[in-house]
Amino acid sequence: MTDLQLDIAQLIIDTLSLEDLAASDIDPSMPLFGDGLGLDSIDALELALALQKRYEIQIASDSRDARQHFATVASLAAFVEAQRTACAG
Amino acid sequence: MNDARSPQRDWAGRKERGSFVLMKLTALMARWLGRRVLTPLLYVIVFYFYASDRRGRRSIHQYQTRLAAWSGRAELKPTSHSVFKQYLAFAECLLDRLDVWNGKLRLEQVQLDDPADVRMRLLQSRGQGRGQILVCAHLGNLDVCRAMAELGEQVPLNVLVHTHHVGHYNRLLGEAGEHRMRLIQVSELDTALMMDLAQRIERGEWLAIAGDRVPLHGGRCIQVNFLGETAPMPQGPWLMAGMLRCPVNLIHCLKVEGRYTIHLEPYIEAPAWERGEREAAIQRWAQGYADRLAQHCLDAPRQWFNFYPYWQSPGTEATHAR
Repeated sequence: MTDLQLDIAQLIIDTLSLEDLAASDIDPSMPLFGDGLGLDSIDALELALALQKRYEIQIASDSRDARQHFATVASLAAFVEAQRTACAG
Repeated sequence: MNDARSPQRDWAGRKERGSFVLMKLTALMARWLGRRVLTPLLYVIVFYFYASDRRGRRSIHQYQTRLAAWSGRAELKPTSHSVFKQYLAFAECLLDRLDVWNGKLRLEQVQLDDPADVRMRLLQSRGQGRGQILVCAHLGNLDVCRAMAELGEQVPLNVLVHTHHVGHYNRLLGEAGEHRMRLIQVSELDTALMMDLAQRIERGEWLAIAGDRVPLHGGRCIQVNFLGETAPMPQGPWLMAGMLRCPVNLIHCLKVEGRYTIHLEPYIEAPAWERGEREAAIQRWAQGYADRLAQHCLDAPRQWFNFYPYWQSPGTEATHAR
């Protein structure tokens, strides 16, 4: 698990009050929605707001892309990384 | 313009322009002719609506029956005239709205009932404070939201609406010299919208949203007890409050004995839900709101302006007129 992945896992726990979990419990490749962590669409919105605040990134809309970014901690980390590079460049 | 436009969209566009012209015409007529000339005309129009709108009449009859039964106040029971009186109250409200728009009904003429000093919170957002949410209802005069923009002096107010005419309304607002208030169309809660709203709240802007009308095409609603019977109400305001973690206040503007009073009250200080408790929290907030709304209905029993079968689930009805 990279630092960013760990950071995002912690952010998910804090935002959605999943206190019974530790950041290291969330496998980067575990699906966040449905069978995995069991998040729903409102959780996703809350998470998007938290990500925006924390990493100062923009998430355009509910496109299919956005849904793919939110699939796992690993995909979120990759997305945050890409957004940061885009913003810096 | 775009040649690929479908006929349907074109028609919708024309309809939108048409209603914009009508709105502008009414506003101009009000300015030129004045209220005295416009009043009889408006009464004729409202009488036409009353006479032709059986569904609306029955809805108001039902509202009055339930209000009387729930409050135990027999004098509120519908009579042969009471339903028509509610239509007349609506006509009067429309005339007052034109006055608000033409700047004839100023803030100084409106009383403020604000025991918890919500206005102070509004003014505090001007510095570096966060914005808050105002929940309003189709009870009394909704255009006082404009007065709220005045109350808040420089605090921008974003009014969230279901209508598609947002662009036109915003133009009208701009032409009327109103730059603090802005309409935002909300059909669904999506990421882009929530991010935009979150940024506005952080900038100290306020959001106003109706708590009594469910979105046209179903949307997220929740069943609450309103005036003794189960009614669908929107989840939107409460979901938004929980996600944005910002305080919620209630606003009503009722005309009692010919004089408007704006009632302001704080409702939820720190909206948040525990894991797995979201549904329960939304239910609690929506029900608490329905209870307060019912109390406010008693203050102005004829100013309930939801002319559609209120206790019916959405989807079984085509439109919410007005």
